[in-house]
Amino acid sequence: MTKTSCFSHVLPHSKQAARKPVNHGPTLLIHGGAGKIVKKRIPCEEIPDDQKKEYLQAMKEALKVGCDILKRGGRAVDAVEAAIRVMEDCPLYNAGKGAVFTRSGKNELESSIMIGTPSHPAGAVTLLRTVKNPVVLAKTLMLDPDNYQVFLGGEGAEEYAKEKGLELVDPSYFWTEARWKEHLEGLGNEGKDEGKKRDGCCGDKSESDNADNSLPSYDDAVNERRTENNTKRELVGSNGDWFYMNSMGTVGAVAVDFDGVIAAATSTGGKNNKSDGRIGDSPLIGCGTWADNETCGVSGTGEGEFLIRYTLARGIASRMEHLNETVEQATSAMIDLLSKVGTEAGVVALDKYGNFTIQYNTSGMFRGFIRVSDEIPHAYIFPDDVDD
Amino acid sequence: MTKTGCFTSLQLLAKRLLPCTKQTSTHNDNKPINHGPTLVIHGGAGAILKKNLTDEKRLEYIQALKEALNIGYNILEKGGRAVDAVEAAVRIMEDSPLFNAGKGSVFTLSGKNELESSIMLGTPSHPAGATTLLHTVKNPITLAKTVLFDPEVPHVFLGGEEAEKYAREQGLETVDPCYFWTEARWKQHLEGLGKGRTKGREAEGYPNENWINGSEAEKNILHYDAGIRKGECIDPNPMGTVGAVAVDYDGVIAVATSTGGRNNKKDGRIGDTPLIGCGTWADNETCGVSGTGNGEFFIRYVIAKEVASRMEYLNESVELAASAVINRMSNVGGEAGVIALDKYGNFAMPFNTQAMFRGFIRVSDGIPHAYIFPDD
Repeated sequence: MTKTSCFSHVLPHSKQAARKPVNHGPTLLIHGGAGKIVKKRIPCEEIPDDQKKEYLQAMKEALKVGCDILKRGGRAVDAVEAAIRVMEDCPLYNAGKGAVFTRSGKNELESSIMIGTPSHPAGAVTLLRTVKNPVVLAKTLMLDPDNYQVFLGGEGAEEYAKEKGLELVDPSYFWTEARWKEHLEGLGNEGKDEGKKRDGCCGDKSESDNADNSLPSYDDAVNERRTENNTKRELVGSNGDWFYMNSMGTVGAVAVDFDGVIAAATSTGGKNNKSDGRIGDSPLIGCGTWADNETCGVSGTGEGEFLIRYTLARGIASRMEHLNETVEQATSAMIDLLSKVGTEAGVVALDKYGNFTIQYNTSGMFRGFIRVSDEIPHAYIFPDDVDD
Repeated sequence: MTKTGCFTSLQLLAKRLLPCTKQTSTHNDNKPINHGPTLVIHGGAGAILKKNLTDEKRLEYIQALKEALNIGYNILEKGGRAVDAVEAAVRIMEDSPLFNAGKGSVFTLSGKNELESSIMLGTPSHPAGATTLLHTVKNPITLAKTVLFDPEVPHVFLGGEEAEKYAREQGLETVDPCYFWTEARWKQHLEGLGKGRTKGREAEGYPNENWINGSEAEKNILHYDAGIRKGECIDPNPMGTVGAVAVDYDGVIAVATSTGGRNNKKDGRIGDTPLIGCGTWADNETCGVSGTGNGEFFIRYVIAKEVASRMEYLNESVELAASAVINRMSNVGGEAGVIALDKYGNFAMPFNTQAMFRGFIRVSDGIPHAYIFPDD
């Protein structure tokens, strides 16, 4: 079985074992989702530069906002919240405004946030329809001294948002034309999850035959998607004026501050045409988000169901903890695992020294980073993007 | 990289005063003995004092646990799938008014029942299903299983009204919300109201507002530990969950967990029970785990998966891994109990609370064993 190449953006990583690790200082990573982002519009024309610029601009703004907080000695949790707010408010990203639609044409938003201190504070929210900034609600929940809950969903969550005076909006606030078009085009195309049958999910005894980890038919289907020449899949959901935006996508941020405290957060509208009521990996601690000062902070994106079933974020931290791997090695191993089982995934992760890694196995990933040491925002979309 | 150094004295304190109670099967370190199909269940861990449980009541619980074990046994014994066995066992406990799942669930702050559950198979592709925020589904575990197997639903986790709509579409049994009501739980709900939480977030192992500084956390853990030591229930709101883990003749592990959540939880609160990796985990290569206890801790520490990770990376036995994780929870002040099982039928049932309803049965002898207190 071929392993799909894993794109990676890694800064030189200091060797941990023998000597004192180099501390790179406060660092912020962000992502705006990984997935089927194709360079070429149908028919084969380049993405207009101004569209690409818009995406990059938004990411740089998010990075700067977070960096401003960190450089003044602010907390990592405030930096990640601020960065994510920028992307939630931006209609380009699948979080907050610009979120994808459910099958029935609604927006259902979710988010989680976590801090890496010993007591593992965390907050998460899901099935939201009227909360303008889900990441703010998650953070409010986490830091509320009168509250012990970690995870709220549905009306109960929105009631709480109202009690706390968070900004609520009409559900129509989140609507954007591009996502609505994607929704309409996607209807009827989502089909059955043949993957479930091949996975052995349908309960026949051949489940145990899959013990050697080979799932040839599902894997083939996924490889098919990645082939450059296969335009059929890429046509689905495309709209003449836009390049094909990933119909998954999520936004996330991970940061470490001057106190060596790590925070991570993730926010999303979920999957295009997901079932109403579907909860993805983004609000699930250990799946889409994880933070632990002793290992790493992680925010993930990709096919949510797989991130849940393989507990991606926590998986990276466990490898660092038990196998003494670096953040890069641990992330690589988890992305490889997910590639092997035929799913798309992207991760931003860092440790408390500011060593970080951004890895993904898709055609592109909206991503960026900034260090307080030089305050230069770096933002990219495709694997071969360079700083301008 | 672990903080064992700082916590050593605390660990000793916790271990001495709060024994990590467990029942395990013998584990042969050389060639693994295969014990054959095995089912392990739990009906919740928490502060149940012996003196508060009448003999009659005690018998009722044991009876219900044995019934759940027997029904699972019947399936496994005939070569049935682990996933069907765990579903059947959990259904018994959901239908029984004694346990905090299905009928007999605790109430939210506003006096509603909100149910949740998850189920998972240990096969390589890690199939899983989960549901939450349910008000009318009679057996949440069956809904989770339906989500898992339905090829028309490419999702793992469904919640709220839409999950209930889906249940109806699938022909699952739905009931009026009052079906779940029991007098005992209603009393608990009323008694818990207004009592609030004596120490607020500190009782959850969170230090005071200055928690960002790690050392604050250490100071405040002692507070909570002292409370457990006195045998008091700091939290007047009981927890509880039901769960089952099984391995079948094919060596496939399955896990199921179901609950009504925490007494007087906020409406809309989702606990660890429907969260894969937190309350439920299954992987043939390591173990199946179902957890019960303080749900928020299970989420923040991703407990179930941690047992499996220790087995995978540290080569620990299921017994060692499960104990280690429970000890860690003791250290941070989290009430916890797990049942865990590997594909050879080795299992463990450690917990750090006063009691945990639990039991096991092996197809090899068909004898149901059910317990409540540590010394049963």
